[in-house]
Amino acid sequence: MKKLMIALASATALLASSAMAQEKLKVGAAPYGLNAEFMQIWSAALEEHPAVKSGEIELTVFDGRYDALVQQEQFNTMITQKFNAIVFVPIDIDAGATAVEAAHDAGIPVVGSNTRVNSDLLAAYVGSDDTVSGYMEAKTVLDKIGCKGNVVIIEGPIGQSAQISRLEGNMKALAECPDVKVLEQQTANWSRAEAQTLMENWLTSHSGQINGVIGQNDEMALGAIEAIKAAGLDVGDFAIAGIDGVTDALHAVKEGTMTSILQDARAQAQGALDLAIFHATKDGSYTPQSDIWAQYPDMPFNDGKDKEYNVPWTPVTSENVDKLLEMRQ
Amino acid sequence: MSSVENKTSNTWLNSDRRRLIVQEYGIFFAFLLLVGILAVSNEFFLTPGNISNVLLQTSINGILAIGMTFVILTRGIDLSVGSVVALAGIVSASFVTSSATAGVFGAPYPMALALVIGILVGVGCGALVGLIVARFSVPAFVATLGMLSAARGATLIYGGGRPVPGLTPEFRWIGTGNILGVPMPVILLALVFLVSWWVLARTRFGRYIYAVGGNPRAAKTSGLNVSRIRFLVYVISGALSGLAGMILSARTGSALPQAGIAYELDAIAAVVIGGTSLSGGVGRVTGTLIGALIIGVMNNGLDLMGIQSYYQQVLKGALIVGAVMLDQKRNQGD
Repeated sequence: MKKLMIALASATALLASSAMAQEKLKVGAAPYGLNAEFMQIWSAALEEHPAVKSGEIELTVFDGRYDALVQQEQFNTMITQKFNAIVFVPIDIDAGATAVEAAHDAGIPVVGSNTRVNSDLLAAYVGSDDTVSGYMEAKTVLDKIGCKGNVVIIEGPIGQSAQISRLEGNMKALAECPDVKVLEQQTANWSRAEAQTLMENWLTSHSGQINGVIGQNDEMALGAIEAIKAAGLDVGDFAIAGIDGVTDALHAVKEGTMTSILQDARAQAQGALDLAIFHATKDGSYTPQSDIWAQYPDMPFNDGKDKEYNVPWTPVTSENVDKLLEMRQ
Repeated sequence: MSSVENKTSNTWLNSDRRRLIVQEYGIFFAFLLLVGILAVSNEFFLTPGNISNVLLQTSINGILAIGMTFVILTRGIDLSVGSVVALAGIVSASFVTSSATAGVFGAPYPMALALVIGILVGVGCGALVGLIVARFSVPAFVATLGMLSAARGATLIYGGGRPVPGLTPEFRWIGTGNILGVPMPVILLALVFLVSWWVLARTRFGRYIYAVGGNPRAAKTSGLNVSRIRFLVYVISGALSGLAGMILSARTGSALPQAGIAYELDAIAAVVIGGTSLSGGVGRVTGTLIGALIIGVMNNGLDLMGIQSYYQQVLKGALIVGAVMLDQKRNQGD
């Protein structure tokens, strides 16, 4: 009998504690996939957010496995489990809209991060404008070759939002240099190995004519560098640029073989999480806890009122590269 | 080569062999035709630099496809090669990286150690799959599908999802070095090809592989250890995947966790285009090598002409189906 009493008492205690846990905000993060370095840094930054570390909120990260349908099903899971807010990085600009609508209908605020989704139901979006980075990287290449000569463009998967916007930026910069000819423009699907093969073949078909390489991400720029080295050419004779600031690219910038523009995954992740918590608390009492708001005075939190937050791009230079590399350790 | 081959073959293989040789010539002529068209339409195609490029770009798929040939000859399939490429690449790289954080304790070690470890990782994956297929009679498709997923996961766990950069120049030599102007990956492909050709055409083990694939029941009743042979072909495929993984990371300069995705498809395509039958017992590595070269030449030629890679995929698809259709037609004609 005594035993039963104890069991009952502890069961009540358990129930009480789980009821208390219910009051803790549950935030789900749905990145499109966790295989590549950028999204790894992004999700690691979420775990490092002060509200997660202090146990104030409960964070669950779902791996979207690069599949729009998988992401949609994860949304359904989060809706049934009554999550309080969702941070969303859609794989596809259009396919993500259905998921956002379902969450919105269930009264769960969704904050977009990193990649865009064609939906006006997002509570807010924290990302970086890819047309700006596309313009910046093409500009560094064109400046280095003195606004004349020939360039090649290695593109991301055709139709993906980053590819479309970065190309738009590339073209804007190229329009300012009418004497520069684009010899080739092809996709290497963000892949280093594919870009290496493309560049090997282009170095053959345009032997001695290529002055600049505009890689729409770092991986592909790095592939081009390997192809140039393998062909026995001097990488210094080429102006090469990439975007994202992945670790290998930071090393390459340090060596002086390419330029890169850092896309701040940490700011995009932690900024979006702050906004998700803000919209989940509903009474507007939440103040952001991440230090990224202090880091980027040009992007104020503005009491959570804004729909769009633009995280500025940071060109990687020989001055800041060591500090950036340190942050990766 | 073909006349010598015929003498050594068993009588019950003769019609298959004859059919295969006819097809191999067909594939070889298709290859020459492709080379001819590209040579005429692009002035750079037949330059020494480009020929070296094509061979270089074919080497990794060629090595994987040769391993795949062993497996398919026994009526099996190996879907795990792409993931094993990534796993072997990243594990071996962690022994030869000069990066302070990405390597194992005490790295960088000499290249030889990394090579042994990379091959052992491949052998380990192959042995596990082989055991599951041969001993527990799980269909190869399922067992290797499982390994495709598991090895990719293991790769991400091992490297924490990050690349292993800064590989030592000594190790990178297997991907970027050359001997007398011939790139190292091409030399490795040639070695793998010669040894495999010899094993399949000249050794008892090679004949057993054909026997197991041609008629497993007959092979068993005639006293062959069928499960041992089945086991070994996956070990071979695994070992070659390990080798290919190291060449890939040596070429790109960094072992990437997302390396090798969908490589199994190109490897199977090369085998099928090369005339090896998916129902086992028929096929040769010579055909596989030509199949891999056709894919390599096609990709290279279309790049030179500035044609979008999406067309390359369509053409490759047509080529695979076309090759098998020819094969079927000839089968009915026999």
